[in-house]
Amino acid sequence: MKKNMAFVGMFGSGKTEIAINMAVKLAKKGERVALADLDYVSPYFRSREKKPLMEEFGIEVVVPPGKYIWADTPIIPPETFGILSNKNIVAILDVGGEEDGIAVLGYLRAFMKYTAVYFVVNTRRPFTNTVDNIIRYYEKLKSRARVDFDYLVSNTNLGSSTTEDIIKEGEKTMEEVSKRTGIPVAFTAVPDFLEDCDCRFEKFVVERYMKLSW
Amino acid sequence: MGEKVMVKGTEAIGEAAIRAGCRVYFGYPITPQSELTEYMSRRMEEVGGVFLQAESEVATVNMMYGASSVGARVMTSTSSPGFSLMQEGISYMANAQLPAVFVDVVRGGPGLGDIQPSQGDYFQIVKGGGHGDYRLPVYSPSSLQEAVELTIHAFDVADKYRTPVVIFADGMMGQMMEPVEFPEPIDPGTIPEKDWALTGAKGREARYVTSFDIDPYKLEKMNLELQEKYKKIIEEEQKWEEFMTEDIEVLFVAHGTVGRIVKSAVKIAREKGIKAGLFRPISLFPFPYKRLSELSEKVDVVMTVEMSSGQMLEDVKLAVLGKARTPFYGRLAGVIPTPNEIFEALMKELRR
Repeated sequence: MKKNMAFVGMFGSGKTEIAINMAVKLAKKGERVALADLDYVSPYFRSREKKPLMEEFGIEVVVPPGKYIWADTPIIPPETFGILSNKNIVAILDVGGEEDGIAVLGYLRAFMKYTAVYFVVNTRRPFTNTVDNIIRYYEKLKSRARVDFDYLVSNTNLGSSTTEDIIKEGEKTMEEVSKRTGIPVAFTAVPDFLEDCDCRFEKFVVERYMKLSW
Repeated sequence: MGEKVMVKGTEAIGEAAIRAGCRVYFGYPITPQSELTEYMSRRMEEVGGVFLQAESEVATVNMMYGASSVGARVMTSTSSPGFSLMQEGISYMANAQLPAVFVDVVRGGPGLGDIQPSQGDYFQIVKGGGHGDYRLPVYSPSSLQEAVELTIHAFDVADKYRTPVVIFADGMMGQMMEPVEFPEPIDPGTIPEKDWALTGAKGREARYVTSFDIDPYKLEKMNLELQEKYKKIIEEEQKWEEFMTEDIEVLFVAHGTVGRIVKSAVKIAREKGIKAGLFRPISLFPFPYKRLSELSEKVDVVMTVEMSSGQMLEDVKLAVLGKARTPFYGRLAGVIPTPNEIFEALMKELRR
C-alpha cells in the first residue's frame, strides 16, 4: 500500500499549501506524520517557514540542517529515506517546482515504493492553462522524475479572489486531463472561505498557511 | 484586459515585457530572479522572439547594447551582484542613448550577501552604479498588477527618451503570487521606427551609436544633451501614490514592497487615533521631491522606512529640507519589517 504522498507540479501550483494542509489534517486524525521539504529551487515561500506551526500539531518536519534552511542548494536531508521507509509514518514530500525541482524524485526512486505521487495543477497559472499544456508538462515532469504519477489534484485558484466558478472551470479542465492521461483526480482543493461549494471530485478544504505578513 | 491569472512577480514582469512587444531577452540566472529568465526562455520560443542565456552578466549587457543599437525592444533581468557586473555596460548605453529595460530583483548584500529580499541597492540603482554623469529612470512597483503596468511603461519611456530604464523589484516582489490581469499584447510591428537605429546605411547617410568622442568639447556637448534629457524626464515623468494623506499628522515614506507593508502600519496607527499617511514614490528617478515637500509642510515627522540602512532617506531629506523631523526605520540583509514593528518605531519617535 502506498502510505506516503509526494506533491509535485509546476512553480506556484500550490504544492506547499496542499502538503502542509494534508500533514495537519492527518496529524489531527492521530496519524504519525512527517513532512519533508525537498524544495531546493525556490528561495522562499517554502514549507520549512511553517516548521514551528507544523511541530505544534506533532508533525515531524524534515529540513536541511541549521542555517542551510535559508539556502537554495540541493540538500536532501538523510531523514527523508527513513520516513519514506518507516511503515508507521505517513511521509509527505513537498517537492520543488518544474523539471529541476522534481529531479529529486529520481534520486529517491529506490525508496518510492510506498509513495503515491500527486500532480498538482492550477489552471489559472501560465503554462498549465489548457489541457494540452498541462499534458505537455505532465509528460516532461514525469520523464524527469523517472517515477509514475498516481493522481491529479485540481487546485485552480486566484488566492483570495477565488470563486466557485473558477474552481469549477479548473475541474472541467482536469477531468479532460484525467481522461487523456488515464490517471484519476484525487481531489479538488477548495479554500476555506468556499468550503460549501459543489465539487465534481472529492473536496479537500485548505486553509492558507503561506500568508504574507501584511 | 484579459482574464485574471495567478502569477509570480517574475512571471508578471516577463509577460508584461512580451505584451509590450519585447522580443529580445538576454540573461543569466541568479536567485531570486531565475524564474524570470526561465519564463522568458519558454515564452520567447512561443512568440518567435530571441532568448539567449549569456555566459555572464557582462556579456548580457553588451548583447543588449548590440540589440538595442539595431532598434530592438530588449530586456534583461538580474539580481544585485549581477546588476553590479552590468554597470560598465549600462554607463555606455546611457551615453550612447540606447533604450533598454533592466529588471533588478534586489537581494541582501553587500557582497555575496544572501537570497532574501532587500532594498539595499537604492544608491546603486537610483544614483548610478556606473561611471560618468548619467541618470536612469527607475520604477519601484508595490503590487504585481502595478509591476505589469510599470514594465510596459518602462519600454515606452526607454524608447521616448532613448535611455535604459530600471524596474527596481525586491526578492519578495519577485517571488510572491497574486492574481493579475494583463492588457492585450501590442504588435511589435506597430512600434514606431527608430530613426537613429543601425539598420544598414545603403541609400542613406550613415548613423553612429557611440559613447565616445576624443574631442572634449564635443564630448561636453554630448553630456549637455544628456543633461537636457534628464531635465525633461524630471519635469514629465514623476510618479507617486498617496495613501490616507488628506488629514495627516505624521507621514511615512516607503517604496516598493515596504510601501505595502507600511500601509498596514498606517492602518494600525489610525486605529490608535494617530492620523498617519503614506507617500510612496513610484519613480525613484525622477524622485517626486516637489509633492513630498508640499506634504511635509503639514507634519512634524516624516518617517522613512526601507529594507536598507537608509538610502532613499537622503532623497526624503532633500525634499523635506528641514521642515520636519526625518527619522528612519529599516531592516537589513533581507529581513522584512513587520507592520507592528514599524508602528512601534513611529511611537518611539512620537514619544521623543
